[in-house]
Amino acid sequence: MDVNACIVDAVNSGRDTLDEENGKKVLASFGIKVPQSLLVLSPDGADAAFSQLQAPLVAKIVSPDIIHKSDIGGVKVGISSAEELGQALIDIEAAASSHTDYIDGYLVEEMAPAGHEVVVGGSTDPTFGPIIMFGLGGIFVEVLADVAFRICPITTLDAREMIDELKAVKLLRGARGGVVASEDAIVDTLIKVGGEKGMMLALEGKVTEIDINPLIVSESEAVAVDARFVLNKS
Amino acid sequence: MSGRYRTMTTETELVDRFRPLFEPQTYAVVGASKSKVTLGNEMLHHLRSMDFKGAVYPIHPKADEIDGLKAYSSLGETPEPIDFAYIVVAASQVPEILKAANGRTKYALVVSSGFGEREESVGLQEDLLRSAHESGVRIIGPNCLGTYCPAGRVTFIAGSAKEPGPVGVISQSGGLGVDIIRRGSIRGIRFSRLITVGNSADLGASDILEFYAADPQTKVIGIYAEGINDGRYFFEILSKLNGAKPVVLMKGGRTEQGQRAAASHTGSLASDERVWLALAEQTGLVIVDTLEDFLDALLAFQYLTPRSDHMTRDVVMFGNGGGTSVLATDFFARRGLEVPRFGDETVRLLEEMNFPPGTSIDNPIDAPGGTMRMDDGRVAGRIVDAVYASGAPDAFVMHINLPVFQVSYDQGADYTAHLVESALEAQNRASGHTHFALVLRSDGSLEVEERKIVDRRNAQALGVPVFDELPNAAGAFAALRHYERFLQKLHQ
Repeated sequence: MDVNACIVDAVNSGRDTLDEENGKKVLASFGIKVPQSLLVLSPDGADAAFSQLQAPLVAKIVSPDIIHKSDIGGVKVGISSAEELGQALIDIEAAASSHTDYIDGYLVEEMAPAGHEVVVGGSTDPTFGPIIMFGLGGIFVEVLADVAFRICPITTLDAREMIDELKAVKLLRGARGGVVASEDAIVDTLIKVGGEKGMMLALEGKVTEIDINPLIVSESEAVAVDARFVLNKS
Repeated sequence: MSGRYRTMTTETELVDRFRPLFEPQTYAVVGASKSKVTLGNEMLHHLRSMDFKGAVYPIHPKADEIDGLKAYSSLGETPEPIDFAYIVVAASQVPEILKAANGRTKYALVVSSGFGEREESVGLQEDLLRSAHESGVRIIGPNCLGTYCPAGRVTFIAGSAKEPGPVGVISQSGGLGVDIIRRGSIRGIRFSRLITVGNSADLGASDILEFYAADPQTKVIGIYAEGINDGRYFFEILSKLNGAKPVVLMKGGRTEQGQRAAASHTGSLASDERVWLALAEQTGLVIVDTLEDFLDALLAFQYLTPRSDHMTRDVVMFGNGGGTSVLATDFFARRGLEVPRFGDETVRLLEEMNFPPGTSIDNPIDAPGGTMRMDDGRVAGRIVDAVYASGAPDAFVMHINLPVFQVSYDQGADYTAHLVESALEAQNRASGHTHFALVLRSDGSLEVEERKIVDRRNAQALGVPVFDELPNAAGAFAALRHYERFLQKLHQ
């Protein structure tokens, strides 16, 4: 896909961010794994979508007006039949219509395999420009601020040190009986965001912030389940 | 404007370009007075006291002569072009003074403040830059104090040391620059160059860092900065330097409250503190919090040779003061250093010495005054030998509580001198690469302080850094360790 054209289109149509579908297309074009998905325009498309994807599925609202999708009931998970999918889309439509008149459609995705939820972020520092951030999802980032930063571009060694730096690294390594996360898959994602040819430098000036949250890391792979791109409108 | 020089400059070109800034052949002073003593007159005095070898031109609109030197009416009128102009007049006059330079002045250091530290004066800083650009002058400052370079025989404070050394410093603050020279010199730091860069309207910390990185006279770099105008460039220079020289950064404004203070001091913008720590991880940069830590780290890098094959961890401590050793062991541990037990051979040798009761023969070696006085103090050499008998530790710190010997009734020998001499002789006999440091502890009384100055000078002459207290040594070793960890990473 043409990443630049996609970003230019979004800016020209007055958006501050890329929608989820386009965000994931950008991720995929940089080699970051995203779930198989289909954009369904109305609840009528549920049967066709279900037959093309591998359940269990997730359905999410796609609307430029709705950023925190789950807060308004715009996300349904664990969908295992075509009927459930049809009902989920109807429910989402009902929930979303009290917040917006403009629904682009519904993103129906395969659920990522079980794993650790981590966050990979890119942002623009006032002194150093593009920087990258890595942390474990949920309370680890939001409450404990257990995150590692680096200035872009990062090397593979930098990426490994970012993982080592987290206080909660033992959880990624299987403490308390959890999954042993693939550190190679994390490093690979970090490089694709913050490396020499990563998104932050390749899209410098066009994108000021990237938030892959969550990136689900299993024993074998890392899948970006949601992504937000903040566009530079200046 | 910063960065005009950035395209494909070789190291030699960089050094040639910046040498006149630190080692000028022609020096103009704008703002010396015929009738009173201004900072300009002080500068004329400093140049005389440093035996400055080049030509000095006072610039004054009316006077024919100032402090015995022929004065000229503008920077455009001097017999020769000016390498370096020191400007200390009201901010509003500076743009006109620079216009008169008309291609004949390489660098102008503008002491005057009132140029953009506050919003209403931003316009004046723009005027300054425009005049500088039109007349081809590169600006240091404004809102700064001066340059210090023993090799160039220039300084901006009275009584600064004349011997050159390996440490190059960039200070955004003038006042801290003074502290760094004065306190650093007393501690034994010797400078290749020091510059205060103030508001960094034109040339800033990154430009000077790039020069220091290339400068053969500068082996260790220290920076005090509140903000870096061009962080990306700064990061790129450090990345390119790739650990070839240690760089110590004392970064002001890392907390939110500090950032507010920095904004009104030098008008600097803030980054998240964690981004600075990232910079330290990625480039080997050592970041410190206090002037004390800054000077201790520079001292360590001046005297001790960092290892690239493994980083400092195991430390041997020996001296008098049991509680002091215990507290210090805790402090070393908190800085990522260890005070491990001795090997069997060392324990056996120490046992054979039959020390008086109360002497610990494990690490840290706590030797009370009576033990330290054995062989008139030369016992220290035998103890150091015993430690090395089980192999070279990464670092060795010997500490002496000076008043114990200085004000005691027992003046049977110069114990302190013998302790230091014999220990350093043993240190020189030892093989392996151990960072050896001395801690000379004083109670602050006049007689002990005087003694400390002499002992410190003697130790430094033998190439040993002297720290005030054990935590200072721990900070210095931790700085070495951080830098060595980076070198080790490069080696892998």
